[in-house]
Amino acid sequence: MEIGLDQDQRAFAEVCAKLAAELATRWSPGRGPDDTSPAEPDEVAWSRIVAAGWLAIGLDEASVVDLTVLVEQLGYHTVPAPVIGTLLAAERLRLGGAGQDLLDAIGGGEVRVAPLLRRDLTDYAGTAADAVAWDSAGAEVTHSPDGTGHHLGDPLPGADLTRRTRAVGPAAGHLALTDPGTEDRLRLTALGLTLATADLLGVMRAALDDAVEHARNRTQFGAPIGSFQAVQQLAADCLVSVEASRSALFHSAWAADALPADEAVAAARTAKAFVAPAAVEVCETAIQLLGGIGMTWESRAHVRLRRAHASRALFGDEHHQLRHLTGRLLGENGR
Amino acid sequence: MDFADTPEVARFRAGLRAWLAGHLDEYRHGTGYHSDAALAATLRWHRALAGAGYVAVSLPAEYGGRGLPDVYEAVINEELARAQAPAAPPIGHIAHAIADFAGDELKTRVLPGLLGCTSSWCQGFSEPGAGSDLASLTTTGRREGDEYVVDGQKIWTSGAMWADWCLLLLRTEADQPRHRGLSMLVVDMTSAGIERREITLANGSREFAEVFFDGVRVPAANLVGQAGIGWRIAMHMLTYERGPADMGWVGRLGHVLAAAVEDVRTGRCAADEPLRRRLVACAVNIDVLRWQVARSLVDRAGVAASVDKLLTTRIEQELFRVVGDLAGTGFVQGDDRFDEYLWSRAQSIYGGTQQIQRQIVAQRVLGLPRG
Ligand SMILES: Cc1cc2nc3c(=O)[nH]c(=O)nc-3n(C[C@H](O)[C@H](O)[C@H](O)COP(=O)(O)OP(=O)(O)OC[C@H]3O[C@@H](n4cnc5c(N)ncnc54)[C@H](O)[C@@H]3O)c2cc1C
Repeated sequence: MEIGLDQDQRAFAEVCAKLAAELATRWSPGRGPDDTSPAEPDEVAWSRIVAAGWLAIGLDEASVVDLTVLVEQLGYHTVPAPVIGTLLAAERLRLGGAGQDLLDAIGGGEVRVAPLLRRDLTDYAGTAADAVAWDSAGAEVTHSPDGTGHHLGDPLPGADLTRRTRAVGPAAGHLALTDPGTEDRLRLTALGLTLATADLLGVMRAALDDAVEHARNRTQFGAPIGSFQAVQQLAADCLVSVEASRSALFHSAWAADALPADEAVAAARTAKAFVAPAAVEVCETAIQLLGGIGMTWESRAHVRLRRAHASRALFGDEHHQLRHLTGRLLGENGR
Repeated sequence: MDFADTPEVARFRAGLRAWLAGHLDEYRHGTGYHSDAALAATLRWHRALAGAGYVAVSLPAEYGGRGLPDVYEAVINEELARAQAPAAPPIGHIAHAIADFAGDELKTRVLPGLLGCTSSWCQGFSEPGAGSDLASLTTTGRREGDEYVVDGQKIWTSGAMWADWCLLLLRTEADQPRHRGLSMLVVDMTSAGIERREITLANGSREFAEVFFDGVRVPAANLVGQAGIGWRIAMHMLTYERGPADMGWVGRLGHVLAAAVEDVRTGRCAADEPLRRRLVACAVNIDVLRWQVARSLVDRAGVAASVDKLLTTRIEQELFRVVGDLAGTGFVQGDDRFDEYLWSRAQSIYGGTQQIQRQIVAQRVLGLPRG
């Protein structure tokens, strides 16, 4: 047993954190909705992402654990760039047998793809009907399982300020793709769930760090608010959620690499069922600890809460996961 | 024990319903605070309501009120919510501060505009450094002859962007202990030296502002009562800020619930058994909240406000959790109720945070020792 990141992974986390933080400074919620930076990365940001190899990492030898190391940082810094979407789309294409040229072009940031998900975001879409292109800010194309490429339409309204979901437009070319088969389809689901969970862990950790920092510095009644028991108890409960979420994520990521596909999905659903509501609650509590300032548009607190809700919905919220796990755990008797 | 209206209240309620039936249509859409046009419509609505005699009815008739018990204020809020009308102007607490503490000259000068809604008012209490600890506020008024010279900064001032007047809590008695050094001034918002900066809330709402005071000269005649009683007035206002208005809030939560119920009943929204139960639990909550608020109106202990605020917070935040769960993924895909959910998170912050309210209840009601 060896639970935790190895030295390389820890070093990778640091590198990712550095660039993610830098990308985050290029984006701002602004003073109000009309003043918010776009969710599309600008040319400079995109080239930095490409240079860091983030888009190609899934196509190289990286494990799911490695991917979660990156995605946690994207969540932590609420990075406004469609990296997770690219990873999910590229993996779908790879398992569908897409050509190496295309995969290289995706990894090199030249072809910008988005994953085609069911409108309710609970899984990859089977067809382009009733589907959306998730995390597709700046993307050019999304592919149906049958290989049809689609232009992307306008952004759909959404709560998340740092990622965009877009409508699926008219067909644009065709790739020869094969059905990846049940096993690989389950692996894709486990991957999507696990990356959503990693994003949630990053977001909630940032929310807590921000709130704790504030509680140290904000003085009311002549003392730092962090010295009041009511504040300490809320913050401590948040940390319990964060720590448990990390354990859940580690297991989910390891399972995706190491276990048979159906067990990997069960592990991923278990983790997501726990982490999704925990992340939302921590983001809500962080706003509580910030007080009024946390309710302003200029604050990152609601940016995180919005992103937590969006990642909670990605590949299904906790209720969706629990419905799946209920059948597995309880069977049909006693209903 | 009687939860039903008295005959007088029933008559009043019927009269208001009849008036709404004849006047509401014009205001049903287009009010709010999100644009200049919406704001203008909202202010017109306030004037129409005032003109019909439905604003600040609990104030004495000599100042433009009707001298009615608080229950009538609650009936107005309840009926407006029921009819899905825009809310009544939130001025009861400001009106009471002035009517109950100001001298006659100031009252006759400002109350007609306030109660008739021909002038807009805001309440300048919170500061960047003084939120939960309001009494630590540092905006100061220095007496110079028959004027005060005001310097400092307020934040979260609702309605400040368009207010004509501000009821300002500030420090005038530098040598007094903190609570006793505060006073209340009526400030003309067009005075030289006032600067306003809009604050947009997390849900995009645009009713707030920061207000900066730089050497603003205010006639001493605009002092509400005497110098040094600002804290007493502020505490008095708190008892009027909630109470009756809660009834309107309950009504609005009731509409949110009713819409969710309708979504499930019609099958527009899929809900499994656990979710159905939680929705029904929300219905139970809102009924209980209504009875609680009604009881507080007639059987008001001094701290009812804190208990009711905590209960409202608990029930409202759970309601929006359930609404979000029912909406599923749609909740983050352009559902208007996401913004209302965000607003529900402010319920545990404004007007005294959840932590402060719990402390008030624990110490002042339960008599637990102070830490
Ligand atoms: C939507 C909205 C509308 C508002 N409208 C108005 C308005 O119209 N007029 C106005 O004057 N103000 C208004 N406010 C301001 C509001 O009253 C303050 O935000 C509130 O009093 C909290 O103060 P703060 O934001 O400075 O937070 P802080 O006081 O800094 O509190 C931060 C955190 O510390 C906790 N805390 C602080 N002290 C203690 C303690 N002793 N024990 C335990 N915990 C503690 C709080 O509970 C909170 O979790 C509004 C705020 C919001 C969000």
